[in-house]
Amino acid sequence: MTHASRRSRRLALVATLAGTAAALTSCAGGGATSTSGDVDTLRVADYYTDEPARSIIGDTLDACGASIGVTIEREAVPSSDYLSKILQQSSSRTLPDVQMIDAQDLPAIASSGALSPLAERSVPTDNVGDSVLSLGTVDDEVYGLAPTVGTIVMFVNNDLLQQAGVAVPTTWDELTAAAAALTVDGRYGIAFSAKNDGQGTYAFLPLLWSAGGSEDELDSDAARAALQLEVDLVSSGSASQSTVQWGNSDVGDQFLTGSAAMAITSGTQMSKLDAEGGRNYSITAIPVPTAGDTAVAPLGGEVWTLPRSGDDAREKAAADLLACIMSDENQLSLAEQRRVVPANPELDSAYLETLPQLADYVAVVRDGRSRTAILQEAWPTTNQAIWTAVQSAVTGQSSVDEALADAAASAASAQ
Amino acid sequence: MTSVTTPTAQTVRRRPAREGRAPGRRRVSRERVYQWLFIAPALLYVVLFFAYPVVKNVVMGFQDYTTASFYTGEAPFVGFANYVTIFSDPTFWPSVTNTFVFTIGSIVGQFTLGLAIAVFFRRRFPLSTILRSLLLLPWLLPVIVSTALWRSLMDQDSGAINVVLKGLGIIDTGIPWLASPSIALLSVIIVNVWVGIPFNVAILYGGLQDIPEELYEAAAVDGASPWRTFWSVTWPLLRPTVTVVILLCVIYTLRSIDIILGLTRGGPANSTQTLPTASYFQSFQQFQFGLGAATSNVLIIIAFVFALLYLRASRRSLTD
Amino acid sequence: MISSLRARKVRSTRDSVLGVLLLVLLLFPVYWMVNLSVQSSGSNLASGLFPTEIHLDGYRAAIADQSANLVTSLVVSILSVILTLVIAIPAAYALAQFRLPGLNLILLVLAVTQMIPGIVIANSLYSSYNDLGLLNTMLGLVLADASHSIPFAILLIRTAMQAVPVAVLEAARLDGAGLFRSFRSIAVPLARNGIITASLFSFLFTWSDFLFALTLTTTDDLRPVTLGIYTYLGADQTDWSAVMATSVLASLPAIVLLLVAQRYIAAGASGGAVK
Repeated sequence: MTHASRRSRRLALVATLAGTAAALTSCAGGGATSTSGDVDTLRVADYYTDEPARSIIGDTLDACGASIGVTIEREAVPSSDYLSKILQQSSSRTLPDVQMIDAQDLPAIASSGALSPLAERSVPTDNVGDSVLSLGTVDDEVYGLAPTVGTIVMFVNNDLLQQAGVAVPTTWDELTAAAAALTVDGRYGIAFSAKNDGQGTYAFLPLLWSAGGSEDELDSDAARAALQLEVDLVSSGSASQSTVQWGNSDVGDQFLTGSAAMAITSGTQMSKLDAEGGRNYSITAIPVPTAGDTAVAPLGGEVWTLPRSGDDAREKAAADLLACIMSDENQLSLAEQRRVVPANPELDSAYLETLPQLADYVAVVRDGRSRTAILQEAWPTTNQAIWTAVQSAVTGQSSVDEALADAAASAASAQ
Repeated sequence: MTSVTTPTAQTVRRRPAREGRAPGRRRVSRERVYQWLFIAPALLYVVLFFAYPVVKNVVMGFQDYTTASFYTGEAPFVGFANYVTIFSDPTFWPSVTNTFVFTIGSIVGQFTLGLAIAVFFRRRFPLSTILRSLLLLPWLLPVIVSTALWRSLMDQDSGAINVVLKGLGIIDTGIPWLASPSIALLSVIIVNVWVGIPFNVAILYGGLQDIPEELYEAAAVDGASPWRTFWSVTWPLLRPTVTVVILLCVIYTLRSIDIILGLTRGGPANSTQTLPTASYFQSFQQFQFGLGAATSNVLIIIAFVFALLYLRASRRSLTD
Repeated sequence: MISSLRARKVRSTRDSVLGVLLLVLLLFPVYWMVNLSVQSSGSNLASGLFPTEIHLDGYRAAIADQSANLVTSLVVSILSVILTLVIAIPAAYALAQFRLPGLNLILLVLAVTQMIPGIVIANSLYSSYNDLGLLNTMLGLVLADASHSIPFAILLIRTAMQAVPVAVLEAARLDGAGLFRSFRSIAVPLARNGIITASLFSFLFTWSDFLFALTLTTTDDLRPVTLGIYTYLGADQTDWSAVMATSVLASLPAIVLLLVAQRYIAAGASGGAVK
């Protein structure tokens, strides 16, 4: 610490001495206990502040806590700001015992040293599929496990497609034609996210990967073809210019209100569509360049991690809690309630018994890929480079070639 | 035209200090001590809450600060490398331009409209008190709510603004307020002006209320037109308030980040990226906190230079 | 005589109408907020220009979930205003009326403190608060929120203090009034407009603060409404009617307070004293 900071810290202590006495008697949160022995409570942090996810996850946590004999002190933080919270707690060594982290943020936090590799805590990782395991892997060490995963899919409005006499598109050409045919006054054929955050990238990756491209090579033919598809959909009027403003939730809203006949968005939007009722929709894989190609989509969701606390008893209890969260029963229950897919492929048959209409969805997840698998810590910069390129090209600010050349350059600057 | 001015602290320049003439040095120093007591708590507060963060931010600009630095406390010293990196980033100078356009556009809009409205409200009429309070509503709303509202209003297809404009026949197709790189900055300025008008109105109104009524009556007796009255009576006496309002507005707008993040997140295609938003992305997207600190330090220096020049200029004009 | 009275009344009425029109134009987004708050629960941001039916689900949810949070916000805001005024008013007087060395530097520093990005301050505060046990406390929040308002209030009130006629102050001192007495009995009342405006905005700064609320609390015990509103804001879906209803409810006590405060901004507070 610098001299000035030490001095101001002493001043702070002197100045608030009077208030501290009163403050300390009230509930003071933060510090992890350093005494080992019996553990009564575990602190768990996640970013689901809103219902129904808040209760679904809360109930699971409480049940698991009860099963290992601890009470759960839960800290739910808005998802837009949970990273700064983690960093603040990291610097004051007051991270919770179990921490939820978005899969694409994991390498950044894991590389800081604040998390224990799960192997150190003897957490079993056998009831998780390979692709899901890769979500939580950084530098060949597993730092986090996801009980459920989702992905991005295409929703189609069966009624509108039937009315227009259009079949569900499976290739890019079919997609372009279908979108054009379904665009009438007051309705767009398709909606997707081209927002300048991870959601814009999330929508672009399936196109890139299905074309055989890779996120570490943005200046490739596959990338150009994929970006050109998005550009053409908007410039032809089949998709709104507002795609640059929309996130997955907004796209889901567009589909829900019938403003878009097809929508490429996160599978989690299903809960919204099912709740409102009245939309006759199906879920299908995002179209591929030519018939016969495999649809490869990015996996989305969060992993549960175990921050280091230095207290053996707490660390053991936290590991037990994580193992409980990852149990098959919890995987299935969480997946069914939140409309995502269990991590364990062996649970697919049970899952599809309850939700048979999601067979395509499950198939896409099993073929899915982790966004951080190749680039690891360099992913965040590439992520930003991709969404910037998408926005530049879709708004007509630059050509597809220029946009991707710029993206490749700024992605390279980080590596 | 008769004018009555009372000597106030700002019109009376450099009078010899009373304290120097007081008999006995003992009373002088005790008076001084009491004077410092007036300001000591505020200074203590500022030091406690701002000194450490500022120093830390300045130092961080010279370090390679990553997520690991938060945990381990170690951050290697890299000299001016961060500054070189941000200055040579192709998006840096556009961000600087956007920052200035955004700030100047917002201030001009907020101030002129705010002043006009404040002058209007100076006339007493029924409902004026209630209306003045309701006018503060834009400031009351949480940023997440006001940006959501404006995004909804400015949606190209279904937004109320385009619906009304189309209904009135002013436009044929919806304007892509927030979706077009060429219009987005203007739209963001409009929203910022909307948010900032209450601030200007409230403070300027308070300042207007301090101008003695007799001066206006005297001007009316002399047959001065409203415009003349404004320039001869209102403006000179409002100057100190105007100085403070503009200083604060510029500073708040320079560092403004929430409105832009909520509306466009710096897009589309970086067209609304300003220095504060760029700093945010460097820190919380790329996890390069050293770069983020360097960018925000550049911003702080710009604000500092502005405040310095502005305060000096406003002091000089008061002595003319 | 009668015709000028009528002319004034006509002008008053015309001004009222103009004022209402102005507000309608400026506050159209606020109307939009109310419009969205009475839509059916969970619906998205798109809606017709006028609500076709009134749904009160949003308000039901807001009242059930956010009442405690509203009270918290109110208490923290009021306490923070009090603290701000106690510290800022004397400081503003000193900077306006005393010949202190380094006065210009102090002013510059105050202006620049307003420039520091909030996240920078929040990060440092978290560590200190954690060490001092101030997390999740009312005192901690009040101290942090006041730190933003104090420099602002000093700058604003200083302008009002500068307008206090030196002659009146000198007369009081010659009559035997002490430093503090002349400050309290003469300067403060004369600077009333500036003080009230400063309190208004100190209240609003704290009321709408999100960053400190987020950083300095980890549990649900103390949750200002700016944080509480995230009960309805999610990554996948948002209950906009509840969000807007909360916002409407949150605006009400604030408007009442502001109305009360605005009444006290009287004309010519400093004008008559020299006579």
